[in-house]
Amino acid sequence: MPTFTEIAKATKKKREIKLVGVDMYIITEKGTPKFDDIGAFKCEFISNRGTKVWPGFVSPDLLQVNWYRCRFMATKDVQDADINAFLDALTKKGWWWSAAQKLWTYDGEPGFSKAY
Amino acid sequence: MGTQHVVTMLPGEGTGPEICEAVRLVIDASGVNIKWEYEDIGLDCLEKYGTLLPDKTIQNIAKNKVALKGPTTTPIGTGHKSANVTLRKVFDLYANVRPAKLIPVLKRPWDKIDIINFRENTEDSYAAIEHMVSDEVAQCLKVITWPGSYRIADFAFKWAKANGRKKIYCVHKANIMKMTDGLFLDAFREVAKQHPDIESGDIIVDNCCMQLVRNPAQFDCLVLPNLYGDILTDLCAGLVGGLGFAPGANVGDGCAIFEAVHGSAPKYAGMKKVNPSAVLVSGIMMLRWLKEEAAAARIEKAMFAVLDERKHVTYDVGGTAKTDEYAQAIVDKMHAKA
Repeated sequence: MPTFTEIAKATKKKREIKLVGVDMYIITEKGTPKFDDIGAFKCEFISNRGTKVWPGFVSPDLLQVNWYRCRFMATKDVQDADINAFLDALTKKGWWWSAAQKLWTYDGEPGFSKAY
Repeated sequence: MGTQHVVTMLPGEGTGPEICEAVRLVIDASGVNIKWEYEDIGLDCLEKYGTLLPDKTIQNIAKNKVALKGPTTTPIGTGHKSANVTLRKVFDLYANVRPAKLIPVLKRPWDKIDIINFRENTEDSYAAIEHMVSDEVAQCLKVITWPGSYRIADFAFKWAKANGRKKIYCVHKANIMKMTDGLFLDAFREVAKQHPDIESGDIIVDNCCMQLVRNPAQFDCLVLPNLYGDILTDLCAGLVGGLGFAPGANVGDGCAIFEAVHGSAPKYAGMKKVNPSAVLVSGIMMLRWLKEEAAAARIEKAMFAVLDERKHVTYDVGGTAKTDEYAQAIVDKMHAKA
């Protein structure tokens, strides 16, 4: 008899997974970070409490905390080793980060949400 | 005519435009001086602007700082961001104020319900931070911050005090989510210390649901994180007569948007069939926000009278009147009383 886990897993469609970027969670008291391109990664947007604070319109009343999600997208095909190099470069530039989340596409569909 | 207010009107889609026209008819007849500026929002914008919330609309709301919004629909699973959530985020409308009060003519099994819900509107699981962290695991971050939690509690206590309310409870699940809901509860308690004249306490969300259904009269004001607030405000609306009579306001420090909380019922679009009461009572909230108490009270009294007579009411409350006929009956009632 297959286990329930085996039955459930058998229903899952196999999808092609591709690394396309990384979300960095950065702690800073100096306001919205600014980034030049780092290796093969370009900053696409920065959000605070889920609200996009760069680029585009930001309400002057927007409450912000010291924790920013910074989305970096790859500008070419990348591997896990490129993420390691990126994290090393970011740390050397003095950024303090709490977490990194790799961004993958699944059969070409993003496996990550956009910011509001 | 008194002070002119400039208000952004967002008719939305589906039945939204016909509802908003009916509501405008009533509000304009109440004696208040409002200049309406119409802007687009919702599904109908997609083809024209490629977004549910065009920049032009955002700029107009930013200018006027107050808006009345009809219903909109968020497409499920298309990748388009909800216009409602985007509005709350862009303008940092952190307080969702959802009163639930019995309407006398709607027969309900309770003698008294008069609850004001203060739902934190910008954080929690609505921070839009979701990832497929493996090919079989999805993850959504629940983001609760001290400033965000402190701010909604502070807003609620100040609103309660200004409106003569006596008791505020914080709704949470801090026994399980000790970091996130624990932070929300700690911030609430910190604010409560500054308001010893208002009774405060806390209640676990599942118990709160049961208590609301068993004995809603025990509650006065509730402060809730976003997700519990989303669910419990609809529960409270159901207690008093459904979403068709449920007003809502999304308020920030620089802007307020008043809206019905029901959907846009696209299958009834153009039929002038639906009840515009939810947008109308949201409009009444807006008038009070604009310090137009006399106009608000006039409309409320006329609306209750029309509902009580049941001659010109819409199908959902047992009548045959069209949307605009119901609105006209309210206008006639206001004029008859004048």
